Parts: sequence; structure tokens; C-alpha cells
Amino acid sequence: MLQTVLDADFVGDATSFRDTHLTAYRFMLLARMLDDKCAGLYRAGKIHGGVFIGRGQEALSVAIGLALKKTDVFAPLIRDTAGRLAFGEPVVDAVRTYLGSVLGPMRGRDGNVHRGRPKEGYLPMVSHLGAMISVVNGMLFARRMKGVTGTVGAACIGDGGTATGSFHEALNQAAIEKLPLVLIVANNHYAYSTPNDREFACRNLTDKAAGYGVESHSVDGTDLSACLKIVGDAVARARAGRGPQMVVATLLRLCGHGEHDDASYIDPKLKASPAGRDCLKVAEEHLLRQKWADAAAFAALRGEIVREIEEAVAQVQREPAPDPFTEDWRAISTGHLNEGHE
Amino acid sequence: MPSIPIIMPQLGESIAEANIINFLVQPGDTVEADQDLIEVETNKANMNVTSPCRGRIEKFTAQLNESYAVGVVLGHIEVTTEEASRLGFDVPAPAKTGDTDRISAPDGNGGRNRVQPTVRGLPVPANAAGASYLSPRLKARMDELGLHAADLAGVAGSGAAGRVTVEDFERFIAHLEKQKITPASFMRVAVADAMRRSWTRPLAHVGLPVCLDPLFAFRKVTRPKPGPALCGLRALAIALAENSAPAGRLVGNKIVHPSSIDIAFAVEAEAGVLVPVIRHADKRSLKDLVVPYDELVELARQRKLPPDATGGSIATVTNFGTFGLTWATPIPLPEQSLVLGIGAARRTPSWDAGKSQFVPVMEANLTLSFDHRVIDGGAAGRLLMRIADLIKHPEQL
Amino acid sequence: MSITYLEAIREAQAHALRDDPRVFIYGQDIGAFGGAFKATKNLAKEFPGRVIDAPISEDAMVGLAVGAAIEGMRPIIEMQFADFSTVGFNQIVNQAATLFWRTQVPCPITVRLPFGGTSGSGPFHSQSLETIYAHYPGLVVLTPATVEDAYSMLLEAVAIDDPVIFCEHKYLYYHLKAEKLPSEALPVGKARIAREGRDMTIVAYSAMVHEALEAAAELVPEGWEIEVVDLRSVKPLDTDTVMASVARTGRLLCVGEAWPWGGVTAEVIARVASEGFGLLDVPPQRLNAKDTPVPYHPNLWTAHRPTAHAVAAAARKLLRL
Repeated sequence: MLQTVLDADFVGDATSFRDTHLTAYRFMLLARMLDDKCAGLYRAGKIHGGVFIGRGQEALSVAIGLALKKTDVFAPLIRDTAGRLAFGEPVVDAVRTYLGSVLGPMRGRDGNVHRGRPKEGYLPMVSHLGAMISVVNGMLFARRMKGVTGTVGAACIGDGGTATGSFHEALNQAAIEKLPLVLIVANNHYAYSTPNDREFACRNLTDKAAGYGVESHSVDGTDLSACLKIVGDAVARARAGRGPQMVVATLLRLCGHGEHDDASYIDPKLKASPAGRDCLKVAEEHLLRQKWADAAAFAALRGEIVREIEEAVAQVQREPAPDPFTEDWRAISTGHLNEGHE
Repeated sequence: MPSIPIIMPQLGESIAEANIINFLVQPGDTVEADQDLIEVETNKANMNVTSPCRGRIEKFTAQLNESYAVGVVLGHIEVTTEEASRLGFDVPAPAKTGDTDRISAPDGNGGRNRVQPTVRGLPVPANAAGASYLSPRLKARMDELGLHAADLAGVAGSGAAGRVTVEDFERFIAHLEKQKITPASFMRVAVADAMRRSWTRPLAHVGLPVCLDPLFAFRKVTRPKPGPALCGLRALAIALAENSAPAGRLVGNKIVHPSSIDIAFAVEAEAGVLVPVIRHADKRSLKDLVVPYDELVELARQRKLPPDATGGSIATVTNFGTFGLTWATPIPLPEQSLVLGIGAARRTPSWDAGKSQFVPVMEANLTLSFDHRVIDGGAAGRLLMRIADLIKHPEQL
Repeated sequence: MSITYLEAIREAQAHALRDDPRVFIYGQDIGAFGGAFKATKNLAKEFPGRVIDAPISEDAMVGLAVGAAIEGMRPIIEMQFADFSTVGFNQIVNQAATLFWRTQVPCPITVRLPFGGTSGSGPFHSQSLETIYAHYPGLVVLTPATVEDAYSMLLEAVAIDDPVIFCEHKYLYYHLKAEKLPSEALPVGKARIAREGRDMTIVAYSAMVHEALEAAAELVPEGWEIEVVDLRSVKPLDTDTVMASVARTGRLLCVGEAWPWGGVTAEVIARVASEGFGLLDVPPQRLNAKDTPVPYHPNLWTAHRPTAHAVAAAARKLLRL
């Protein structure tokens, strides 16, 4: 049955296969250009706090975003602009959160990558790595209790995050409950500045899943086709009731941890290695080779995306910032249980 | 060797702490039981802390000139095991009846372990005067009723160190309400307020008789005619111009000297006293002062004193002799250190050494009330002598 | 018929499970075994699939509850001991407590913390953690002192749309009995005058209410009438009831089983001192556990935490001022 699903989505129908790639490429390029725009606004002093971009991780991220349905659960992490857009987040949500617009989903109360719409299955990450996974578990667990079927939840994490207790507790929990969890691990080789050999000692991060009886899969994170295939496969398996799935992608972060970080610690040998390829370029070349697109089409797409982003930024910059005098300073939804704050 | 603590004893009812003023023995000294070890002073008396047993002073943990609460360990005595055993110091003492600050360890432990609850000493100042510590609640209650600490002078406090508690206060108020009560005038309250504030200082008084015959003779030939109060005022001004230090004010550890010799004088008005001021009284002759003085008296009686004629003076003259009084101890205004009083003149026998007989003279008492923090009796006496001398020689005024 | 504090907690959970299909319970050993303290005895059988054993993963337990709450469920998490909730602390204070503020999506989870000392439980099965949870915005922290409150407040906790830290005292589990379950109750957020008095106010919560009441009884022959305020919930803290009591008595002693640094007792005193300075006739005092881990041996344990005698002794000091 699984094979049927996969065939239908990615192999059997040549048109669909091409369209998926083109759609994915569009989200990757949109993510790259949106990230770059945010970095530019940050360096222009328009964005407070920090900017965290996903350069080099777009192929993996877009793959999970596309593999999920709108009714699924998605808990992206900091380098998932592509996945967020593919899952359905409008560009303006990202811009509003970065610029602190009161009309954004977080209304200036939280910023940058800490955005989401929980009621739409799109979770806003907390900074504590691994902490979102069990929340996805909880949503899947609840849906099962309520009799909702065919749903999948995906959580994204990095090589560093696999060292947290939360990661292990949640992975074990998902395995015990046989939850349709898909755990996307982007091994970008650095947890902030710490290289792999100071984060884990197993041969491969997929070994961690094995310890909990969780199926795991490796993928070249720079190869969009491979990511679409492997991630799509894992999501389909989870959806089909095979229990939690873990996908470990090998790639390289082509930027700093945040835009404040020059990433001078990244080993030049890694940059020159296959993991150091820019997934966006690889995808572009693939599309050209397949003759699914040509230079003119790419130029047109770029123009279209520039306009879309500029429009969103221009709009958000005119929107009101939060006002501390009219802010509702209550952390609890039950009105009378809030302690009086002037 | 066992070590026995030296404890600050309870040195009297309501005494919460005492100050170490002398160590009577030194660490290393051998001491006998009940021997005096440390001299301490409370706000009531000096006493000695004695040794609880025979032994050798191991150390003092208390510091000289520091205060320690009752029950605090002041040092330790090293005793022999036999001595400790003989005195029963080797086992914790069983709880005394009513020793309520200590709680028992769990049953079945022979009462050997004693623990203190984790509540600390309470920092209520333990001065002997009943109203010295006013709790926030008491202050709030007094504010509500418009009362001052002085109003509590007659209340016997039942709190720690004789503190007046709110319960004491409410009983006092309830008692007052059983008696006849009339409202005090605005003037009365203002005078009361000034006197209450002034009374926070240690005030002392000196006095001497002065012969007024020369002054009366002087007055007969002088026009306009100066009154005795104005003569006293002028004499005081001259004396202070010569040495203004006695009119200084003590603020913290500094003396604030007067900047000009502005002298006030008391005028009785309806239901109170007003004190107009003569500016630069040292710079104008007695004759020149008579008219402005009389004008000020009249304005004061009408309660129409201009603002520049009140306040800012450095001393006051009061002629209580106008009431027929020969002696009084007036209180200086709160912002002043001195008040000169003049009693009623009366004819009195005075020994004339030249004639070897008593002769009748007109005599009045001069008094000087002063802030004893600023000057002492001697300085006050010298100032008053100088004033008397000037009055005896009115041509100098 | 009589019912214990523990049975009241079990009954409240049974009631919640029966009335609301969104409720489920998740915790270690709570299924067929019925919980380490038997607070879920027979519930797994009575409500199949809704009383679920969790792995020893406090972090993931709370995370799951948060996710389920987002999906509209009303999970109850049983921590086996309050002490172990520190392993799930991150999920409680950073995930559950921030969710509503960040997203306007409420997080109706109830985390039950069996807390407080019982003789012989030692440093890791005796802790009182209400203070650290109350410190975080976004949490409601309840500390019922009676069988009736254990029942009604747990029911209300499950109904509240926000994360509730429900601190149930282990000593009271078996020691406290009532005739029957209550039919009505004070709402959460209101303190209760547990005993009326004239001379002093003792503010306490949870098991310390009973120590305070015993101390008050001990002081009666000496002529003192002590008012005892049971906070019931430490967050929100019912400052008004405390202030009104201090306005009557002028003296305040706060008693808590938690450690002394900061905390509920400090908070009560800070509020009374800053908002009701003029109500105080003596310096307000507090009585807490000692500033050490909770000791094992009964001799040390009874001295570590405030007892009725210690409360009475502290009260006498205050009354003599």
C-alpha cells in the first residue's frame, strides 16, 4: 500500500513529479530571498533582536513542508523558512513577526522564528531545543483520542538538539504510543559553533532512533529530489500507521547561527565537501537539466518574488507596533485569576 | 574541654539589650563562679555579667561599646570536664516550665534535643520611654486622629520595653472620651505644635535679679519712652552682636550661626501669643526702636502683622512681668536656642555697703532659657550677666 | 461515611472524567496500578483509555499535555512526587505558561504535585515547590488545605482554561478526613478565614494551616485569640482577605513549609508591608522550613519544618511586642 502512495505522489505521474519540483523550488527561492531580506532589514537596524536564516537547508525544509497536509501538525525550528512557507504560512506572517507588527500572529510579544498558529496545527517554537517534539506528540495523541485519523505531525530539529533530554524523552514517548510523528533532523554539522564530534559519538544520528525502536532514514540534504522522496516516504509511512519516523539529512549551514554570527569556525573542508553544496543551486541545475525551466523562467520567478516580498515589507512597515499602554498585560486567559497589574 | 557560653542576662523588666562598657577580665584569665566578667550598661543602670562557673576565659565574642540583646552569647569559658559535669553543663538543660520559645524534639528522645524555631529577634527599639517606638499602625491611627507622640506621654505602654501598643492607645482614647472635651483653637494648636517641637530639645534655664532704678531714671528723661521689654531686647541684641555663638543652632554635628541679629518679642493676643521681629536690632539705637516696636505691638494685637515682621529671628524676649510674675522658665521657639525673660519689678531691700544699711531698690528677675546642646550654663550665665550689665547702664543701650 | 483528602482527589478526578470527555490523566504508574499514592485507584478500569501510564519522562509528559490542550483536551498530569516536576520544569514554565501570552491559545492543563514533607521521606520526596511555580507568570498555583478544597479546587483546576499547578500535600492524604464531599465551595483565588481572632493573623496554606490552627488552640488558655487565614491559592494571592485580617489584628505571622528564601510567606509580607504598612503594630514575621534540603531522620525532619509548637512560639514573640 505504501508503495502505491509513493508512486502516486512522486513516480507514477511525470507531470506531478515535475510540478512538485517546481513548487518546491519556488518555496526554496522565496525562503532564500525572504531570509536575505530579513537579514538586510536586520543590518539596516529595522529588526530588533536577531535574524535566523535557513541558507543551505531549504531543500530538506521544503520537503517536509510540502509533504504535510494543511490538517497535519508542524513544529518547525529556526532554519525552516522554506518549510513554513510550504506548509502555508503567508510571507506577511514572517515579516510581521520579525518587525513586531501588532497585526502579526505574535503581536510583538514574541519575535523572529518564534511564530506559529497553534490552532492551525502550526506550532510556535520555544527556544529550548527538543521541547516541541512532545507537544507534537500531545496533539497527535489527542487527535487519536478524539478519533481523528490520517493525521501526521512533524517536528524539526538539528544535530545539536538530538543531545537534549527532551528529544530522547519525546522520541521514546512517540515510540511507546506509536504516534504518527515524523522527526526531521537537519545535521548541519554545527550546533551554533560546536562541531558534531562534541555533540554525539554514535556513527550516525539515525542510530539514536534505533535505540527507541523508531524507523529512521538518511538523506542528502543538499539534493531536493532525494529530500522530496525520503521525507515524503517517511510522512507516508507515519500516515499509514507505521509509527514514528526519523529522517536525518546531511547538509551544511551556509550562514551563521544567526545574522550576528560570521560562522568563521566552519571547516573549509566541509564547505568544499558534497555536504557543502548549495541546495538551491543544485535544484536549479536539476530543473535546467530536466528542461523543466529555463533561465528566463528563473528570472521571471525572481522578479515575482522580489515584488511579493517588497510588498509585504512595505505593508508591514506601515502597521502599528505594540503599545505598552494599551497592551493587555495578562499572562492568564481566566480574567479574574490574573493578579492586579497596573 | 567543654566550653560554656557567657550569656547576656535579663537585666531587668523590659530591658531588651545592653551595651558592653568594660571587660573586667581578659581571655586566658582564670575565673571563679559568679565572678564579675563584663560591665554592661542598660538605659536604666550599669551592671556586671558574672561567670556561670569556674574556668578559664576562652574568648569574648562581644565587642566593646556594642549593644547585645538579652540571651546573646558574649563569649565562652573553658571548664574542666568535672566542673561541667558537676554543674550539669554537659547535658542540655531540660526545658523550664513556661520556656515557650523552645520546642521539643520528637517524643521518645528524652527531651535532649532542643531546637529554636526559625524566627529571628524582632528589631523593636528598646528605649525606656513608653512612646519612643511607634508602630506603623499606631502612627497611622494617630495621624487619623491628628495626634502626636507627645499626646501619648501619659499612656503606660504594655508592649516590649514599655512600648505603647495599639491596644493601649485605643484604651487611652476610649478613656478620654468619657471626659469633657472642647475643641482647641487654631492658635492653641499652633502654639502647642511649636512648643511640642521645641520640647524635643534639652532646655535649661538660668536667672538673676537686676536693679532697674537706673533704667527707670533713664526712661523718665527719654522720649519716646522705651518699655522694659524693648530695653531687654536691645540689651540682648548688643550682647549677641558681641558674641553670636549662644544663638547658634545645633543641626546634626554642626553649629549654624545667626546671619543677622533679628530679635523677636512675645505679644499676648487673644487665645495665644504672637512674636513680631525687630530686624538688625544691634544696628539701631534704643531710641530709634521705640516707635517701630510700639507699632509692631499694636499690629500683633490686631493680628495684622506683615509677613516680613514675623519669622527668621534668632532669639526672643518675653516680658512675663506684665502678668505680675517674678519668675518663669519660658520655652524658646523651635527654630531658636534662646529666650530672654523679664520678671515683674518690685521694690526690695538691697544692702548698700557704702551706707552699711539696706536701701530700697526696684529689682526684677532676668531669665535666660537655652538649648543645652548649644551652650552650657556658664556661657548662658555670662550672656545673661552681660545683658544685666547693659540694663544697669541704660545709656549704653 | 468519611472521606480522606486523597479520596477526595480521586473522587474529583473520577467526577471530571465522568463529566467531561476531554479530560484524561497521564502519569507514572497511574493506570492499572492506581498511582504511587492510589490517587487514581480503579480509574483506569472505570475510564478505559483515559488514565494512561507514562514513561519516566516528566518533560515529555508535560509536553504531551500541552499539545493535547492545544487540541482542546483537558489533561491532568500526575507527577509522582512534586520533587520530580523539576525534570518537567522547562515544559511547565516555558511551554505551558507562555502559550496563552504568546498565541492567545489557552493551555488548560492541570499538573498535580504530591508535595510536602512526611516523616522519613528525605530530600527528594518532600519538597514544597509552590514558590518556584508561582514565580512564573502564566500559571495558577493552588494549595488546598482541606478535604473539601482538595475536591472542589481540583474540579475547578480542571475547568480553568490555564495551566494549574495543583499542590496536594502528601501528609494530608491520609491524615485529613471529612464527613462528605462538599456541594458548594469558595472559588479559586479567594482565601478563607479558617479561624476568627482578634490579636494576631497567621497566614498559612496547605498543611501549615493545620499547624497554625493547633498553635491558635494552644494560645487560647493564655488569653490570645488568633485569626488563621488559609490562602487556598498562592497564585493568585488573595491580598484583600489577608489585608482585611491584618487590619483587624495589627499583627502578622506567615507560615510556609517551603524554604525561606523568597517565597509565598515573603510575598505576603512584602504586600502587607508595602500596601498595608499602617496596619502593622509589630514587624511582620515569617516562619519557614530551614534553608537546607529536607532531612530524612524524624528528629531532624520535625525540626526542619514549622510545627504547631514553633508557630505558637513565634506567635508569642509577636504578641509580646
